[in-house]
Amino acid sequence: MSSQAHYREAHPLVFVITHWINLICMIMLAFSGFYIHYPFFDGFMGVARGMHFVAMFVILINLVFRIIAAFFVKTAVDLGSREVDTDIKNWLPQAKNRHQFFETVKYYLFMRKEGVISAKYGSLQKIAYLATIPLTFIQAYTGFALYGPTADWGFFFGGTEWVGGEMNMRIIHYFIMWVFIVFTMIHAYLANVYNFAPSKIIFLWKETEH
Amino acid sequence: MAQEAHGAIYDLLAVRGVSRRDFLKYCSYVAAMLGLSEAAAPQIAAAVEAGARGKLKPALWLNGGSCSGCTESMAQVDSPDVATVVLELLSVNYFETIMAAAGDHAEKAMDDTIEAGGYLLIYEGAVMTGEDGNTLLINGKKGKDILQKAAEKADAILAVGACAVDGGWVYAHPNPAGGIGVQSYLDTVKVATPVVNLPCCPTSPEWIVAMVVQWLLVAEDDPATFLAKTELKTRTYKDSVTGNNVTLNYPAYIVGSTIHDNCPRRGHFENGEFVTEFGSEEEAKGYCLYKMGCKGPQTYTQCPITRWNRSVSWCVNSGAPCIGCGSLNWVDNNAPFFKRLSSMQLGGGVGNVQPGTVGAIVGGVAAAGLLAHGLGMKAAGRIGDGPPMETAKAYDRKKMAKKGGDK
Ligand code: HEM
Ligand code: HEM
Ligand code: SF4
Ligand code: SF4
Repeated sequence: MSSQAHYREAHPLVFVITHWINLICMIMLAFSGFYIHYPFFDGFMGVARGMHFVAMFVILINLVFRIIAAFFVKTAVDLGSREVDTDIKNWLPQAKNRHQFFETVKYYLFMRKEGVISAKYGSLQKIAYLATIPLTFIQAYTGFALYGPTADWGFFFGGTEWVGGEMNMRIIHYFIMWVFIVFTMIHAYLANVYNFAPSKIIFLWKETEH
Repeated sequence: MAQEAHGAIYDLLAVRGVSRRDFLKYCSYVAAMLGLSEAAAPQIAAAVEAGARGKLKPALWLNGGSCSGCTESMAQVDSPDVATVVLELLSVNYFETIMAAAGDHAEKAMDDTIEAGGYLLIYEGAVMTGEDGNTLLINGKKGKDILQKAAEKADAILAVGACAVDGGWVYAHPNPAGGIGVQSYLDTVKVATPVVNLPCCPTSPEWIVAMVVQWLLVAEDDPATFLAKTELKTRTYKDSVTGNNVTLNYPAYIVGSTIHDNCPRRGHFENGEFVTEFGSEEEAKGYCLYKMGCKGPQTYTQCPITRWNRSVSWCVNSGAPCIGCGSLNWVDNNAPFFKRLSSMQLGGGVGNVQPGTVGAIVGGVAAAGLLAHGLGMKAAGRIGDGPPMETAKAYDRKKMAKKGGDK
């Protein structure tokens, strides 16, 4: 699996940058979110809210950009390969991922010894990465439902009434933050569990041979 | 012009030691609450005056499942004031808590009023629907039936206080008495009389006055235009007792902005200056009560502007966090009152849990799980270069095996 080489073709510079923006925004959103949830030191509320509002717009624009770019930028079809194809094909489940979902689960549960064949990303990875897209949009929706200037727009207010009021919307927004935190923990762990070569390429854009 | 008039109203006011200036000031205040400009004050004064001069408008004040707190809020007057004078313009023919009549006399006054029709119905308290309405009996009659009968012939209804709005604290989980709001109940019995809701526990007497004045203003020409001529905001919720979606009318001015938006402590909020403990130095400095569970940021009422007890003070001003009594399903949505988020009622022996606790447990379990998994990966010798790779998918291998290995 990770004994592969990691080439720049896997993560072209644009995606290294979108990943950085994602990470920085997420840290800012979670930090300011925790602070808004319960101000654990004094004197930061104005900044925290400002930070939250800036980061929320940036992360949304970044996500939309990332999705559009997936249709134009070419990425490696496999880790350790320089052969490229349109990124969206490598993002969505492919023939190579077929029949491999339960095998991957079994692998991670130590129910099989050999690593499973996968495309650029394995079945679980693809599900997780794809799931971040609707999750970010849901988080944005619940966030805008709490945001003063947009809260009474019918599109958001209808949702607030549907979940039984702003308090429940707040709790949902808060819980989704925890979903992101758990996602990031698992994601960072799995990406680097064998060695740090994947991080070298996604953060530093440094290739590693093997 | 109203200022020139020397109507009965001024005699009434004089008896109570209220000057004409106070009265007109009050009228512009009411105008603001009705969403009118101050220029409407003389018109309001004129309407009130006409009320004082002419025939009194009949009204009924009925209590459902209530603590009579809204009546208290209305009646606790330690100084003569305009609000009471205005309310005296109504001929309140039945007012359980404070009327002098009792027994059959009182009942007859109510029956006669209903018979005649064309009155304003003020309803305080929840409509008790549990046990088929037997959870509230008045004079042997079910409270819900009394409401239905009175509502059918009323020109308009003011649902005063959180309980009348959506059941208030009576509606809080588990609500064995089946307490629900007036609008919700009237929806189920298909009575279409217009209802205007006045939130909070108790509601503000000033808001009642504003709506009574509005009523007097429109009743002059056509009571049927009450809703159309009042600037409203609607809110919809799903009633957990009836299962219906209920749409409530509120005066727009009263629910137009959050408490947080008008709060005098807002500057401290922005500066990040918070009270963390009652009785602390921060509290003495009047810092923001956000960390003490203030629900001001999600409660849409005019409390900081109208204020309470004849505009003397209000909850946050007096040092208590807003407990959100002006919101829907307010107890379940806001308890515990001194915590920022409401607890989740998980039941099943778990009880009420704070969202923060749930989040921390989920995060902690995930971290522990990953740590354990990491140790497993190390034990399995996968760290470093990863596992040996399969040469073909397990699925394909199985299929090939079935075919007997031929190619
Ligand atoms: C993507 C668009 C997002 C929008 C529009 C948004 C908007 C908001 C708003 C308006 C608030 C309320 C702030 C206030 O009352 O002053 C809030 C609170 C919060 N946000 Fe976000 N947010 C977004 C994303 C996120 C993300 C990604 C996270 C976490 C990873 C997050 C975590 C939180 C937390 C924890 C709170 C505090 C909740 C509470 O206890 O009241 N938000 N957000
Ligand atoms: C501690 C923080 C993080 C680390 C160490 C990390 C690491 C990585 C690594 C190594 C990869 C490449 C995976 C591979 O090629 O096998 C990757 C990709 C990815 N990461 Fe992260 N990541 C972090 C945070 C996040 C966050 C917060 C998000 C979004 C919520 C995120 C979303 C993604 C996505 C969507 C990809 C796919 C890359 C693409 O095609 O654009 N990551 N990450
Ligand atoms: S005391 Fe409450 S309403 Fe006032 S600023 Fe603080 S959080 Fe907002
Ligand atoms: S400030 Fe809050 S708790 Fe006080 S009356 Fe208004 S809504 Fe209720």
